Amino acid sequence: MAAQRQASSASQTPHISPAELSYIYTSLSLPGAPIRPDGRSATQFRPLSAETDILPGTNGSARVGFADGTQAIVGVKAEVERTALGIEALTQAEQEEYAAETGGNSKSDGVKQGSSSGQGSWVQMAIEIPGFRDDDALPVFLAEMMREPLVESVAGGGEGGMVGGLKGRLVINRRWHWRLYIDVLLLSQPLSYPLPLLSLTTHLALLSTKLPKLKSKGEEDPFFDDDWDAAEYLYPRAKSTSTKPSSIPGSISVHKVRPPVTLLVVSVAENVIFDPSREEIAVADAVLAISVTHDTDSGRLKLLSIRTIDPPSRLTQPGVPNSENVATLGSTAAAEESVIINPSTGEEEVPGVWRPRRGGVKRATIAKMVKMVLEKGGVGEEVLEGLEGVEVG
Amino acid sequence: MPLDTSTTYPLTKLRLDGRRWNELRLIQAQISTNPASSGSSYLAMGNTTILCSVHGPAEGRRGDATGGSAGGSGAVVEVDVNIAGFASVDRKRRAGGSDRQSGRIASTLRSAFQSHLHTYLYPHSTISIHVSVLSADGSLLAAAVNACTLALVDAGIPMPGLLCGCTSGMSGSASTPRDPLNDFLDPLLDVSLPEEQELPFLTVATTTSIPTGADEDDDDMKVAMLTMDSKVHHTYIETMLAVGVDGCKQIREILDGVIKGSSRR
Repeated sequence: MAAQRQASSASQTPHISPAELSYIYTSLSLPGAPIRPDGRSATQFRPLSAETDILPGTNGSARVGFADGTQAIVGVKAEVERTALGIEALTQAEQEEYAAETGGNSKSDGVKQGSSSGQGSWVQMAIEIPGFRDDDALPVFLAEMMREPLVESVAGGGEGGMVGGLKGRLVINRRWHWRLYIDVLLLSQPLSYPLPLLSLTTHLALLSTKLPKLKSKGEEDPFFDDDWDAAEYLYPRAKSTSTKPSSIPGSISVHKVRPPVTLLVVSVAENVIFDPSREEIAVADAVLAISVTHDTDSGRLKLLSIRTIDPPSRLTQPGVPNSENVATLGSTAAAEESVIINPSTGEEEVPGVWRPRRGGVKRATIAKMVKMVLEKGGVGEEVLEGLEGVEVG
Repeated sequence: MPLDTSTTYPLTKLRLDGRRWNELRLIQAQISTNPASSGSSYLAMGNTTILCSVHGPAEGRRGDATGGSAGGSGAVVEVDVNIAGFASVDRKRRAGGSDRQSGRIASTLRSAFQSHLHTYLYPHSTISIHVSVLSADGSLLAAAVNACTLALVDAGIPMPGLLCGCTSGMSGSASTPRDPLNDFLDPLLDVSLPEEQELPFLTVATTTSIPTGADEDDDDMKVAMLTMDSKVHHTYIETMLAVGVDGCKQIREILDGVIKGSSRR
């Protein structure tokens, strides 16, 4: 069992026969209008219920439940920690030395300059999935996949913005910083690949996260206001929301900066399908996790990262065409038309017979996926708008 | 951070959270919270919050150590306890999987429910219980017992009666023999986390006995589980137990109300 878990990172492969796989694949690959098993359109998400601030003992928390019964709870805790000054200074000096040696300006140099730079390791993420150990491949992979865009998204400055992104926000002063623990709890067995659920829940939890108001100034040891009502949101909000309730639809009104969202996108033949269910992942040609965030400068969506996820369709059993099946050999069934797809091996595609997907994905398909997420009025904006609708705080 | 219950209590006769000695914390509970499982429940005892889901009775997994052939005579109960990292005041770091506290709670729950449920009705099957502690403020084991009972009722697994857990402690260290003439220590019902860290306490779970005849007294209760980790002089045990059992009785009525209230909807 453990070996099987490690092998397929996308989800435990459901027990679907080759005939069923072929049927689902065919209906999903219909040109232009895929027919999904649950009747959704290609870009439609499953209905979900969400609430925030459910745990009074945390800095921020959220619960999201999909209609199929999978639920996730995220709790965010923050601790004050002393910054290891010596090490940072050393690495900075080393970097400068390195930059001088190579003669080029290394990219990380620009990010890490000054006291406003933070470290990615200050954000820790742990995912708990029932039936899995903490150090199993799936939870570790998922946690890293969600932590990376979160830490690396550096929003533009501007007033009310976050200088240096989340990392910069965690800096208190030169000697002290916040350490953020994000604990993700999946409450049910993962029926489908849990990434979208966990990502949306984390997004809401981070939006509801508050840090105590700092009373000390500058380089003093940090001293906080003990009034929780005075606490400030981790992701700052625009103050004028109450005076201007009529916000322009489509614009991100309350939050200038929002945490990134990771969406799961699959491709089946020429079709691109969002928020896939377990059966749809099982037949997908390619599974991509696309992280996007709202760019404050341009007011549009910005691509943060793309990760490919090992599609479980590679591990499925192939179907046997009638012409090769011993049981039906010599039967009067009409000969199936076969298309030779690889002349060197003689591998051929028979319509209606399942063949495990092998090989990569076309660049045009990836470009299409990314475009559908990023474009104005596209899926990414729709998701972020939907999350905006959730009452936070 | 010792909060020193033992010095303020004799003066005020009020506990840290303002309760008297025989008062339970507010209990809120719900069943059928998670449609993806056979049975599920949410239970909050004061600031202790627990979610519980039950899967099964189902065929045992083939991959596990028992080889799927376990439980030839009855179902096997599996309990998995997960105390969330954000449950306590300070975020806890755990090394690889589970810590000692959750392991102990899991094994206690397993043995309690294995003997409590009518497992003989489901041979060759597994009932797996998953407990997640969202917020921990004392009486974890007792709250977990109550949450599991509700989830098992929701899953429709037959049992002789509701298994209800409660804690009770003493308002001082109670390390010397009890003096009946000068008895200044009070028993405390349903201890919270600061009390639990400082005072001796025990966890008791009771169930109603199977009614055998018509004239059987309805209030007849049996102690099904009893654990105690702290040190106390044996002369105090009886008092603590009596208070704990009485607390279980109150909790049974609350859980009864939850179950009956949810079926009406």
